[in-house]
Amino acid sequence: MSTVVKETKHPNDKAKGALPTLFKWWIGILLVLFAVGAYFIMERLWLGLTTTNLSSVTPWGAWIAFYIFFVGLSAGSFLLSTMIFVFGMKRYEKVGKMALFIAIICMIVALTFVLMDLGRPERALSALVHWNVTSILAWEMRFYVIYITLLTVELYVAMREDFVRLAAHDSLKGKVARLLTFKDSTINDYTRKRDHRWMKILGTIGIPLAILGVHGGTGAIFAVVSARPAWNSGIFPIIFVVSAMVSGTALLLAIYVIRCKALKQPIDEQMVVGLAKLMIAFLFIDLLLQFYDYLVALYSLADSHLLSLQTMMRSAYSWSFWGIQIFLGAVVPIFLVYWKKTAKNMNALLVAAVFVVIGIIGVRFNIVVPSQIVPIMEGMPAGDYYPTYNEWFVSIGIMAMGLLIFTIADRLLPLDQEMDGSEMGDQNAR
Amino acid sequence: MLLKQLLEDDFNQIVDERLSDAAEELANSPYDTDLGLNMAQDAKKVVAGKLDIQTFHKKYHASLVKEFGQQVRQGTQEDNGKTKVKWGMVIDLRKCVGCDSCMVACKAENRTPPGISYNVVLEKEVGEFPHISKVNLPMPCMHCDNPPCVQVCPVRATFKLDNGIVTIDNDRCIGCRYCIVACPYGARSYDFGESYEDEMLGFNDVTSPEYGIERGKREPRKTPIGTVRKCNFCLHRLERGEEPACVETCIGDARFFGDLNDPNSTVSKLANSPRAFKLKSDLGAGPNVIYLR
Repeated sequence: MSTVVKETKHPNDKAKGALPTLFKWWIGILLVLFAVGAYFIMERLWLGLTTTNLSSVTPWGAWIAFYIFFVGLSAGSFLLSTMIFVFGMKRYEKVGKMALFIAIICMIVALTFVLMDLGRPERALSALVHWNVTSILAWEMRFYVIYITLLTVELYVAMREDFVRLAAHDSLKGKVARLLTFKDSTINDYTRKRDHRWMKILGTIGIPLAILGVHGGTGAIFAVVSARPAWNSGIFPIIFVVSAMVSGTALLLAIYVIRCKALKQPIDEQMVVGLAKLMIAFLFIDLLLQFYDYLVALYSLADSHLLSLQTMMRSAYSWSFWGIQIFLGAVVPIFLVYWKKTAKNMNALLVAAVFVVIGIIGVRFNIVVPSQIVPIMEGMPAGDYYPTYNEWFVSIGIMAMGLLIFTIADRLLPLDQEMDGSEMGDQNAR
Repeated sequence: MLLKQLLEDDFNQIVDERLSDAAEELANSPYDTDLGLNMAQDAKKVVAGKLDIQTFHKKYHASLVKEFGQQVRQGTQEDNGKTKVKWGMVIDLRKCVGCDSCMVACKAENRTPPGISYNVVLEKEVGEFPHISKVNLPMPCMHCDNPPCVQVCPVRATFKLDNGIVTIDNDRCIGCRYCIVACPYGARSYDFGESYEDEMLGFNDVTSPEYGIERGKREPRKTPIGTVRKCNFCLHRLERGEEPACVETCIGDARFFGDLNDPNSTVSKLANSPRAFKLKSDLGAGPNVIYLR
């Protein structure tokens, strides 16, 4: 085990001096993408939403799709972290803190997308001042704030021991740790028990908050709209939560494998295979729920439902449904995880996870766009929406911002510390 | 202070000289003098806010019926104070010829930018040749009883006035466009900031004073740009005692406007006609624009 610890510490100690070339390239590319995105963000702020292909017929587009996608990623990875911290699934422990941190970053990214989408971004905070209690969106705003706060506190508690241990080091992480801990912070049986209890309490509060409040609620934003029959079903928020679990698990798997490869750390293959199976299990439930939702809509034979289904499955937009949501996001990953030759192959599972994440992006677009393409009343114009360059580059810029925050914070915070860390602490004490 | 009092006394004197004696005047009328004087006294209290209008009606109802008989009934019911105005519109589809002049009048009145029309006319051919008929469906905002747009607005920027009109506070709207998504009638539009300035000289010179707010020139990034806009039954015209522009301009007299709470108004009578129907009445929004088929 001690060799593992040494290896994990290695690149970080080097970080102060010469950064690895791979890392430099990574940061460089992200900075360029973010700079390009920033240019288009400025353009959007200056010229307003004319830079998008949105209209009064299709008022919500790519940014809203990405917003619900990232809220989903956040809820998904948080719920995965609760499996570890609340239900004690020890075998996923290595990704616990990472999951919490990804949940925070995804919320930041999601809210940045909403900010871009608001016609009056400077009035965004007034959404917290004026409260229309019948508005799901107003509730969501408040849930998001509470949720981010809870995540931050929980992450701090999860990292507290590592901070205390790291404070003795003279590395970059050590300096950050000294900033974030009190001078007399210690680790003993009492604090360990206390921290664990708090993790459990916060995680337990977080579960209903994430399911009912954050992600089920985000689904309810759409589900309550009786004017759009494709959204207006009780199962809709549930599909949101389940697909959040799918994407959250997939993203965590992908980031864990990529990070291990980049930092040349050994991969816990057993855990990755377990995560992949979990991901596919969620995916099956998701597909089942979606199938029933479409079946009920189809069976009604109501024009409004048929038109929505037709727009999604048999129109110029159907490549997104069949190609991305079904083929890339479900068929290929299921095949990769179950085919004997790829079932234990880390690269194949990584590809499966990345495809699942992309597939869920497709799911989010297919939720938001097609039902706004169908005319709201017979005789009214049908929508015609495809994101503009501005919308794509703004989206890429915001996502690059998220990855930048993640990469930098990964250098500063002990996100990957494991259970054998306590031994390391003892060694340092000596 | 003293000067003011002196002036007031002077004015009162002039008024007293000009005014005829109330008792004398009432004595000339065929009706009860005391009742008139008492009512006038109490009416002053009502105006000053010291007496409730309903109590006033209760107090005098019996004697008024005794004095004036049946003809007073309608009057008292109307001023009962219990019933507020609820503006509504009735559109006779048989009279609509599909000239779109309501759309033009609305655009001219509210100076709506490209891509925004508070009032649209949907046109559709029904049936197969030779048995075809053309249906024109003029659609303003329905000013629903339970507006879905008001339900979903996160900041209460859109709300229903006491007179039934659904309005927007453009200075509060954050531009999230949830209301556009939620409106079952497609009655709302987002102001992207486009302008007719290239085709029409001086279009940007003034923003229509919707809801009585003078906004001056139409400029980039200035409210109402970046917010949601909609039909408001020409509230600024109603306040001047005028009908909405679309009603006034309709060449076939297909549109009727009035108080749906007044059972004797034209709109109320038409709304109760067997020809009357509402759009998407199954949704529970309760539209206040009623069509005659």
